[in-house]
Amino acid sequence: MTDVKSNGGVRFGHTELPAAQQDALRKATKIEWATMGFLVVTTTLVFLVLGNSQAMKAAWIEDLLSFLPPISFLVAARMIRKLPSENHPYGYHRSTGVAHLVAAVALTVMGAYLLVESGLGLLKAEHPTIGGIELFGNTIWLGWLMMAVMLLTAVPPVVLGRMKMKLAEQLHDKVLYADADMNKADWMTAVAAIAGVAGIGMGLWWADYAAALIISTSILRDGIRNTRGAVSALMDKRAMTYDDTEPHPLGRKIDEYLRGLDWTRDARSRIRDEGHVFHVESFVVPAENSMPTLAQLEEAREACVAMDWKVQDMVIIPVAELPSEFLPGATSGGEH
Amino acid sequence: MRCQRLVAGLLPAVLLFLAGCGTAFPADPEGTLERVQGGTLRVGASINGEWVEFSSPSGGDLRDGDVQGRDADLVRGFAEQLGADIEWVAGTEQVLAEEIKHGDLDLVVGGLDDKTPWVTHAGLTRPYAESEDQRGKLHKHVMLVPLGENAFLLELDRYLMAAKESR
Repeated sequence: MTDVKSNGGVRFGHTELPAAQQDALRKATKIEWATMGFLVVTTTLVFLVLGNSQAMKAAWIEDLLSFLPPISFLVAARMIRKLPSENHPYGYHRSTGVAHLVAAVALTVMGAYLLVESGLGLLKAEHPTIGGIELFGNTIWLGWLMMAVMLLTAVPPVVLGRMKMKLAEQLHDKVLYADADMNKADWMTAVAAIAGVAGIGMGLWWADYAAALIISTSILRDGIRNTRGAVSALMDKRAMTYDDTEPHPLGRKIDEYLRGLDWTRDARSRIRDEGHVFHVESFVVPAENSMPTLAQLEEAREACVAMDWKVQDMVIIPVAELPSEFLPGATSGGEH
Repeated sequence: MRCQRLVAGLLPAVLLFLAGCGTAFPADPEGTLERVQGGTLRVGASINGEWVEFSSPSGGDLRDGDVQGRDADLVRGFAEQLGADIEWVAGTEQVLAEEIKHGDLDLVVGGLDDKTPWVTHAGLTRPYAESEDQRGKLHKHVMLVPLGENAFLLELDRYLMAAKESR
């Protein structure tokens, strides 16, 4: 483990987000509050027309679960403002990862529960019963109201999801990314629920369970994917891009820069994603008989820190030979 | 996203189907409403105060004139609207709930309220009347219908709401 010492005016990395990211964080916070406001309205509306449809119940529970990512994000956004302290020398950015894990586990559990419940309903052939409701003095079929409400709730999350997706990239925020990804797929839930209720209306009682199965499968899949991502991030998986598709290019950039210095023969780095920001440990092998001076080391570190705001914590360790047990693989990331 | 395409394909299909049939919506999976119209309405009745009373409380087969009470009057009105004859069956709530679950009854009455435990066996109508018991607790009264027979249920709900208003 590296040791980060406070060292006068020397910067070991960015402890605060730069202006553009601060701005993105503010915007994202606003959008997440808007999401919560929207969810309060939709969960109330859907609850009022819930009835006996399993698909509607699944959609409602998914709406309730949709509160978790925004809450996690907002809580984490508060925590990361704290500077590293004596008891938390690595800072508080990991709170993002913890929030991510909590939300992901909740999704997984509820998805599995709904899947089993819907499957049992289908096996037991419990015909969903939906009767009339009084509306402005007329008795209409409650199913019509259900479909109308689901139609209303279909579009706004998609718009919110797109807005969040952009900010997630700017902020390198995986909770925001997961939230945006779920929002973008939210219209499918609405359509599936509508199809389920329409199926009941046509006398196809199983259509409701089929729709509920589709919805719960999508919840479960979101849950498993997010749990996997959150757990591996907490286990110090190497830093990936915000959507987890490839190793973050910063690792390669740092290694190339360090190798290019005239006093080094080789260099490799380990990078951990702390949530928003990275902790970088770079091992450098000095060239023959040229142990670097303190000034050269300082200069190299400053240059790496300046490469990207995400380099929050950077240490350079001169070594006689690269420690292969810490750096398995032939490449330093970004090449795959 | 395989799921996404499946769902996206489902919606137009559903809408087309809806536009195509347009006849009965909602429809009964077991065709209860069609069967009872001009046919026989099989009604389970459980004795309960002013709601269901028997003039010859012998159990088993009852003649139409043997059953009185507020629920009985409502059922008669509904049967008249459907042009149906009533076949009354007397029994305890539990027996009648089992019967309706297995499709041997079309309707169960007996001053049941919306907190009835028989929701696993049958569907509930909208509350059509309210009463207060000795402990001051409010009961919203409902009837039991076969699970998922939504056309039949909607027809009954409409009748009950209209009857509630005309009172």
